[in-house]
Amino acid sequence: MKPTVDRFWKTVSWLSGLIVSASVSFLIGFLLWKGVHAVSPRLFFGDTAWQDALFGRRPVFDGIWPAVVGTLSLVVFASLIAVPIGVAAGIYLSEYATARQRRWIGSLVDLLSATPSIVMGLFGFTLILFLRKTIFPNAQTGLMLAAGCIALIVLPYLIATTQAALQGIPEESRLLGASLGLTKWQHIRHTLIPLSAKGILGGVVLAIGRAAEDTAVILLTGVMARAGMPRNLWDKFEALPFHVYYLAAEHRDAAELAQGFGTALVLLMVTTFLFGFSYWIEKQAARRWNSA
Amino acid sequence: MKRSLFWMCCGVVMVLLVLGFGAGPAVSGALDAFKGLEGTVQIAGGTAHIPVMNDAAKAIMTAHPKIRILVEGGGTGIGVQKVGEGLVDIGNTGRALTDQEVAKYGLKSFPFALDGVAVVVHPSNPVSNLTAKQVQDIFSGVITRWKDVGGNDAPIHLFTRDEASGTREVFWEKALKKGSVAPSANVVGSNGAMKVAVSQDKDAIGYAGIGHVDASVKGIVLDGVAPTQENALNGSYPVTRKLYMNTKGEPKPLVKAFIDYILSPEGIEIVKKHGYLPL
Amino acid sequence: MTDHRFSAEAQALRRTARRELWIERILLAAAGLSAAVVVAIFSMLVWFCLPLFTEHRLGAVLAWRWDPIHQHFGILPMLITSCMLTILALCIAFPLTIGICSLLHGTIRNGVLRRMLLFLVHFMTGIPTVIYGFVSVFVLVPLLRWVFETGTGFSLMAACLTLSVLILPTMVLVLHAELDQAEARYRLTAEALGFSAEQTMRSVLLPACRRALIVTVLLGMGRAVGDTLVSLMVAGNAAQVPHSLFDSVRTLTAHIALVLATDSHSMAYQSVFAAGLFLFLLMSCFQAVLRFWAKSGASFR
Repeated sequence: MKPTVDRFWKTVSWLSGLIVSASVSFLIGFLLWKGVHAVSPRLFFGDTAWQDALFGRRPVFDGIWPAVVGTLSLVVFASLIAVPIGVAAGIYLSEYATARQRRWIGSLVDLLSATPSIVMGLFGFTLILFLRKTIFPNAQTGLMLAAGCIALIVLPYLIATTQAALQGIPEESRLLGASLGLTKWQHIRHTLIPLSAKGILGGVVLAIGRAAEDTAVILLTGVMARAGMPRNLWDKFEALPFHVYYLAAEHRDAAELAQGFGTALVLLMVTTFLFGFSYWIEKQAARRWNSA
Repeated sequence: MKRSLFWMCCGVVMVLLVLGFGAGPAVSGALDAFKGLEGTVQIAGGTAHIPVMNDAAKAIMTAHPKIRILVEGGGTGIGVQKVGEGLVDIGNTGRALTDQEVAKYGLKSFPFALDGVAVVVHPSNPVSNLTAKQVQDIFSGVITRWKDVGGNDAPIHLFTRDEASGTREVFWEKALKKGSVAPSANVVGSNGAMKVAVSQDKDAIGYAGIGHVDASVKGIVLDGVAPTQENALNGSYPVTRKLYMNTKGEPKPLVKAFIDYILSPEGIEIVKKHGYLPL
Repeated sequence: MTDHRFSAEAQALRRTARRELWIERILLAAAGLSAAVVVAIFSMLVWFCLPLFTEHRLGAVLAWRWDPIHQHFGILPMLITSCMLTILALCIAFPLTIGICSLLHGTIRNGVLRRMLLFLVHFMTGIPTVIYGFVSVFVLVPLLRWVFETGTGFSLMAACLTLSVLILPTMVLVLHAELDQAEARYRLTAEALGFSAEQTMRSVLLPACRRALIVTVLLGMGRAVGDTLVSLMVAGNAAQVPHSLFDSVRTLTAHIALVLATDSHSMAYQSVFAAGLFLFLLMSCFQAVLRFWAKSGASFR
């Protein structure tokens, strides 16, 4: 009885492992096979010379460089908004908050993390409608709105990782501050933050990765299939994940389909690099505490 | 070490901002109507118009880098709503505006091309002719297998457009005679997406603007009339519509220049190149 | 002389105390802002759904047909689809999760295969949703069309297969973290009793992680309900109640993305907010249950 159950269990586990490994390997392999020959300067810049395209002197048609710039801009601005607020909130929840505050604010932040990204996009879209009817009749969806909504999506990650990094500091290091006569903020700034910096950085990189791959939010807050380089913070923009989605639905010919595969490959490489970097940082931080 | 890292990050951000947001110097070109004009024209709406708009935009932007033209789709419904609410400068529609729309938003229409809506199937589908009644029955779900209309013994895969589509409205009115569309039909969001969907599925049937029909899909002969632009022009193919550009009130100089460009000989060439009939 | 020094020190102390207070206030503001955002989102959804309640049009939205041309604005088909899709995706993903965790903590407990599998799972978390959808459109959909010969391939089946692969890595990582802790506690005891690796897994470790299993399921459900791109790309988007696995369907999330283009005063627009509100409430329920389970168990957040 037992050996058969064991064997059955073993078979099922091996099968699961094989199914999942096969699916993922197939996915990567398929993308590589179809997309690798599309990755070239032509993919990025189309017919425009790369010097002109890079500095925005001439517009790029049929190239994904505007999408790369768009995604980069989104990520940079979303981080600029989310990182200060998220890290500050994490510090507060970890060091200053009373139990009651921690419970309430913690629940609400949890709720924020559970909000579907399309609902966040809906929120951004209606915010613009609301602004148009009241104080800013010329408000438009654009880069800043999308970056703001993405910042809201990644905020919970930052708060959670900051909290976890700070809580992970052992008691001996915490006693340092009190023993040196530091004020609370001096203790946080000069002792706790340097010790938890790696963990916080890991959270920041994770947030960046999440910002780069989001599609549902930007769908409703200003992304376009063909918008060129964004000229200012309030402009429409292109983005890599939206470009992939658009080409999947509406490629006009085989060349555009190949471009789609190339774009998918570029996006995959960017997010893989970011998540890998974040994972490595977290491993470093964990190793530091485990060996201490 | 930490301080230099901080300045390095600032430097990276600065470089990105300069690269990303650099605007180029003005270069005047052959499109004289745009000489001295600069700014952005935002266009949204009908997906049938997109190829023409994109080519016109490319020509204008290449000659005058200070002008930016942004084109997006979304369908006729989006075109009307966005131009009416002032979100875009030109709203493209694939059908005439209703009186309520004109009254509510104060829109002005500029028709620039004639297009038909063809029933499309996969090129390898043996069926090439259908009567109007058959088309109505297929789309309402009464006929469910290709065998019943002279094709293979295979189920019919229906594709239809979203609610905002002008193509869908014209097709529903003139081909389906306001009949129903089966709720099981797959919904796609644009003419381009319809083309992709039908060209990838041997048993698919859908509808798209004649200007979008190319070698990857086959247009069905409806009641003995082939879906060509000539037949649309001479009136023998009944399912036709004009393509309109609409603005809210009188268009601004830059927008007016763009509209005039589409209606100019160069614009007419672009319209013809994409398979539409200039007016 | 003593007075000057005393007052200078006192001034410095007051300045520091004031700065400390301001810093605490700023940090509190940041935390409060994060919390307030969620309240703002909820208020916005309720505000826009209010006409439905005040004008008694809720019945129009809680109907079974979506056909705006004929004035039918029911979102119930989309709701049913979201629920069915989630449950089906979980039915595939949960056994796979248990299987992979059994591998990691049982059969290939030691060695290089374990590291490789873990690396693969971690890698999967980094793959964007849109990539899963993209590959599904060009591989899975034609495959389904060819193998099953019913429907266009854009179906509930395609969406649930893709979605299960999407939610799998998160579920595996959460369960794996719990099993690591349980293993540290029970492994030696189990080995001393002569249990095989698989037996340890199914008789000792999994029962010890009962709470974590619930958490895993809830997390997976949350992720599946909130996903937009997968169903937008491969589920077909027909607004009907699914009668078979091969029907073209539309989820609430895809519905919001597709319909937002209509007139802002029409019922169709309001149906979108009803869909959004429902999604938000559903996710809040999951979150509340998760918190309850996590708190009453040994696991920490």
